[in-house]
Amino acid sequence: MRIMLLSVFILIQSLLFSQTNVDSYTLGSMDARPLGPGTMSGRITAIEGVNAENGKLLYIGTAGGGIWKTINAGASFKPIFDKYCQSIGSIAIDQKNPKVIYAGTGESNMRNSVSVGDGLYKSTDGGDNWAKIGLDSTEHIARVIIDQSNSDIIYVAAPGPLWHDSPHRGLYKSTNAGKTWEKILYISPKAGCAEVVIDPKQPNTLYATTWEFRRTPYSFESGGSGSGIFKSTDGGETWNELKNGLPPKPFGRVAFALAPSSPQNLFAIVEAEKTGLYISSDGGQSWKSQSASKNVVSRPFYFSTLVVDPHDPKRVYRPAYSFAYSSDGGFSYAEAGNEGAWVHSDHHALWINPLNTNHLYLGTDGGVYMSLDKGGSWTFFQNLPVGQFYHVDYDKKDPYRIYGGLQDNGSWMGPSSAPGGVTSSDWKAVYGGDGFWVVPDPTDENTVYAESQGGDISRINLATFKKISIRPQQTDKEEKLRWNWNTPIVMGQANPKNLYTGAQYLYRSKDQGRTWERISPDLTTNDKLKQQQESNGGLSADITSAENHTTIFTITESPLDENIIWVGTDDGNLQVTTDGGKSWTNLAKNVAASGIPYRTWVSSIELSASDKNVVYASFDNHMYGDHQTYAAMSADGGNTWKKFESKEFSGFAHKIVVDKENKNLLFLGTEMGLFSSIDNGGIWFRMKNNNIPWYTLVRDIKIHPVTNDLIVGTHGRGVFVFDDITGMRNLSKEVVEKDVVFFPPPPLVLTMGKLGSNGFPPTGGWTVPNAPELPAFQYYLKEKLSSVAAKIEIYDKTGNMVQSVNGTTRKGINKLYWTQRIKPPKTAAGGTKRDVGAFIAPQVLPGDYTLKLIVGKNEYTQPLKVLHQDVDGFTVADRELQYKTALELFKMHEDLAQTVADISDKQKELKDLRTKIKNEKLIKQVNAYHDQLETLRATLLPTKQVSMFADESRLREDITEVYANVCFTEQVPNNMQIERVKFLRTQVDNAAVKKKQLDDAFEKKSGAAFAKEVEKLKAVTAK
Amino acid sequence: MKSFKFASLAFIALFFSTFLFAQTADEVINKHLEAIGGKENWKKVNSFKMEANINVQGNDIPVTIYQVHNKASKSEINFQGTVNYNIITTEGGWKFFPIMGQASPEPLTEDELKVGRDQLDIQGDFLDYTAKGHKAELLGTEAVEGTDAYKVRLTRKNGSETVYLIDSKTNYIVRAISKVKANGQEIEQTTILSNYQKLPEGIVIPFTMEGVGPAPIVISKVEVNPTIDQAIFKVAQ
Repeated sequence: MRIMLLSVFILIQSLLFSQTNVDSYTLGSMDARPLGPGTMSGRITAIEGVNAENGKLLYIGTAGGGIWKTINAGASFKPIFDKYCQSIGSIAIDQKNPKVIYAGTGESNMRNSVSVGDGLYKSTDGGDNWAKIGLDSTEHIARVIIDQSNSDIIYVAAPGPLWHDSPHRGLYKSTNAGKTWEKILYISPKAGCAEVVIDPKQPNTLYATTWEFRRTPYSFESGGSGSGIFKSTDGGETWNELKNGLPPKPFGRVAFALAPSSPQNLFAIVEAEKTGLYISSDGGQSWKSQSASKNVVSRPFYFSTLVVDPHDPKRVYRPAYSFAYSSDGGFSYAEAGNEGAWVHSDHHALWINPLNTNHLYLGTDGGVYMSLDKGGSWTFFQNLPVGQFYHVDYDKKDPYRIYGGLQDNGSWMGPSSAPGGVTSSDWKAVYGGDGFWVVPDPTDENTVYAESQGGDISRINLATFKKISIRPQQTDKEEKLRWNWNTPIVMGQANPKNLYTGAQYLYRSKDQGRTWERISPDLTTNDKLKQQQESNGGLSADITSAENHTTIFTITESPLDENIIWVGTDDGNLQVTTDGGKSWTNLAKNVAASGIPYRTWVSSIELSASDKNVVYASFDNHMYGDHQTYAAMSADGGNTWKKFESKEFSGFAHKIVVDKENKNLLFLGTEMGLFSSIDNGGIWFRMKNNNIPWYTLVRDIKIHPVTNDLIVGTHGRGVFVFDDITGMRNLSKEVVEKDVVFFPPPPLVLTMGKLGSNGFPPTGGWTVPNAPELPAFQYYLKEKLSSVAAKIEIYDKTGNMVQSVNGTTRKGINKLYWTQRIKPPKTAAGGTKRDVGAFIAPQVLPGDYTLKLIVGKNEYTQPLKVLHQDVDGFTVADRELQYKTALELFKMHEDLAQTVADISDKQKELKDLRTKIKNEKLIKQVNAYHDQLETLRATLLPTKQVSMFADESRLREDITEVYANVCFTEQVPNNMQIERVKFLRTQVDNAAVKKKQLDDAFEKKSGAAFAKEVEKLKAVTAK
Repeated sequence: MKSFKFASLAFIALFFSTFLFAQTADEVINKHLEAIGGKENWKKVNSFKMEANINVQGNDIPVTIYQVHNKASKSEINFQGTVNYNIITTEGGWKFFPIMGQASPEPLTEDELKVGRDQLDIQGDFLDYTAKGHKAELLGTEAVEGTDAYKVRLTRKNGSETVYLIDSKTNYIVRAISKVKANGQEIEQTTILSNYQKLPEGIVIPFTMEGVGPAPIVISKVEVNPTIDQAIFKVAQ
């Protein structure tokens, strides 16, 4: 028995160890750039403030971007939930001890694209550290509240899973601050709890609403016998259903509110056969129906927010499709229409500052707004980058532009880098509605294709922003066209003139959508039972194309052959043609043989650029309640499939990508993270690179063919760019086994950048630094090294070390940047002003160099080719003259530094001596000598400047001025600069001469007497 | 047989979880103290003089750091002939950066002084921390640059907090994260420590520190227990 135990132990250990070298940290310092943008932001699900902080300290929960904290009323936000599930349902703060925060994951605005949560989290230090404390399987949490009279009592309303029956729903209560939970209101596996409200004056009095709801891939239903409104007066032990005056059941979702300052006053918007507003003034014993406008009562499943002012029971807010408010106790509602009143539609959160109830924060489908006049006007926060992209794309401009469509925020494009960094205002709107595919035409830089929901496709001229609808139309040869909510628009990879889109049929255009050809029969299952969308919604009709089904979802043309096209459908068909659409083969059964459930939604298909038979695909079965990560590859054209397995995986899969350079390098994006493999899918690891949330909702992944950037589109955190992944391409099974690997640097082109350094630091918007304009030297370390330093020394071909740069010693890829410059000169010391000359160095000349990586005592060398490229007429000859001139100025700085040092040394010596000598005549001469030296020194560097606005320029600064201009411009020095260099050289030489003359004069006049005094002093000291 | 397998797996799982997680703050701290040379060696440390460089754009800026245990510290930056410094003593603190246009030394703000005084304990927060009135709490583990680190929150007697990340393999501190107050706002300040070297006195200290300036500070020379003239901590006003 012991032996067996030991062998199991060894087996597990060997498994563990064989994987230790490849993990999330193998990528080392390959940081992501969070491009955002904040321009259009994304869906906000929860806003909670610390009451005592008067509207300055708030936590913002988002649909797919985690939790953000502001401590300055929105001047800046910081993400504080980046290691956990990103979909937030509710946040609660213990106002007595506001460092204690609860976060319920899984938002409960149950639209088609809603994400899922994985339980309830708690922080006791204001969001720095979090621990999961249970309710893992609820998937959706609508409300967390704390009994403010006893902070140990917590209530959690969990509507529960959306796509399947489950007992993990209802109202939960903890009486020990979240250690244990008891379910105190439970209806059925179909109906959960959607709201809980506590009576602040009698904390044993609770109101809860229950909700029965269900989605399938092709339908949505809100309503059923399980929905209702309940009241308890004993802390949830027993419940009474409230009915008197309410409409006949069944109910759908109920928006419910209580007036905190007058808690008998209740408000309910009840989804029913006739949805309406109901008001009670007796704690729910009786209700009165109240007429209300469509905005107040529409789309109850999505708009469940109803808030009463904490002090004024008459002031009721209904943030819904638009922002309505009542000043008469909820009887009549108005909407502001004045200047500054516009806010993004679709509201889900409102926080009222209890110390100043004019001060509101509103969460919408497009970010957070703040009002200082009770909602009369709003300020938008452009520094919250929580955009929900569905797809991203790029063009080949320099810098390239990124394109993408967002949930409820249209289609946009923005630069990957821009002067001063990419700011919110760099992003331009391309198209409206919900945005999905936004595809630049690779053959025409002024054309992009974009769409709104349900396949409303247009061709857009980027010069004029005019759009022309190009959606294919039904003819007498087709059934009614079925367009997915997120209809694919795809360009050919083998033939970039091919433009594809698909309903249930595949369409191809070779003329930018001016004419179309249908190149397939119905490629879906055409299951009529899944095409009943006209009766969708349940109690309230909801027909938005969001549930359109049995449609084409993904299309890919082989990079090797335009006649090979793969199509995946939302009902699980995987179809391929090898003859440009004449014949089609359905491979759904072959996929199922690999262990992926039959007819699972095909979310992406990726075709190899080197082998026609190699294909990858990802699958998404979450709409049947199955959240597993499904991705697979086939090496035989789809006949047999290997399903990828990994313990690291979580979340249903949206996108799989293979690198075109390194065919073993794969990326997989799921609802809960970005994953990578460097061995063609054998071992997978979660990408935890700096800045990217570990469980971010990855919808799309692209690799830029020119810059080698990995572009990731997320549904909740905007776009991330991993600049230049060539370091990842170098990782192979062999490489990762070695202790240290110094990757051969590609030839280095000399440059001073293209984008300048203008612009302001970010205040008021989301500004992202640009990609590094110089490539990094890269090396790999198997383990993090704690007891050694690393550096790279750069040698020219004569063996001179031109520069030495300190590096990092982290596990995985380490990056180190060299400015392409030699070491700067020693400049003259002293003076009353800082001179920058000591930080400026000439750019090196093109040629052969050697890099020496030193890690501890070990050295690794790599040759480096440094190249010149003519830019704006700057030739090699120009560069050589520039270098020569720069070196002359460099030398001047060092010569001047020597002269100044000589002067200073001498002055120090004189100062020292004159306090000791007694010979009055000699003292006078020494003083005069000292002063003459000072007069000379004052011509060489500033000695009087006291303010940074009183510029004093002396020889040192004069040299620096020319030196900087010569060193920092890609331009041959001009005639004036050359003249100036000669002149300055004379000045520097003169300074040395002058110093010598003063020395000589003193020597001649007083040398003998001085020497005598010095001797005397020495004799005294010796005694 | 089946039940046996299950039991053994459970045992192994338990073993692994014990191995990684069932540490107490004290165990982690003691291992750390051992790794950096042991309590006895550290108790002998009364002063440091360190010479270091900050490399900015290839230009080495020399820094000299003087520390007298629980009394005073001074960082001196020599640049272009100007002497810039930061002094923190039990009496007060001053900064003088003529390079930034300062004409005379200025007293440190209350907030700066508070942070600075926490660092006067040059034997380290963890040495005899309970006797000093500090509290330590193990928050869990967190990966830092690919190595698992214990996360220990140290709350000092005066209420200030630093979260230390201690490498579970080397037991060295790899990160120190402090909450610092500035302009009425709390900001997080992270110091990255690396390049640990053993000194002849038996103690081990990080020779590279990042996060405290524009570029990493790299130590080139350390003297342990040198005699430091107290006059250097006085400010010529």
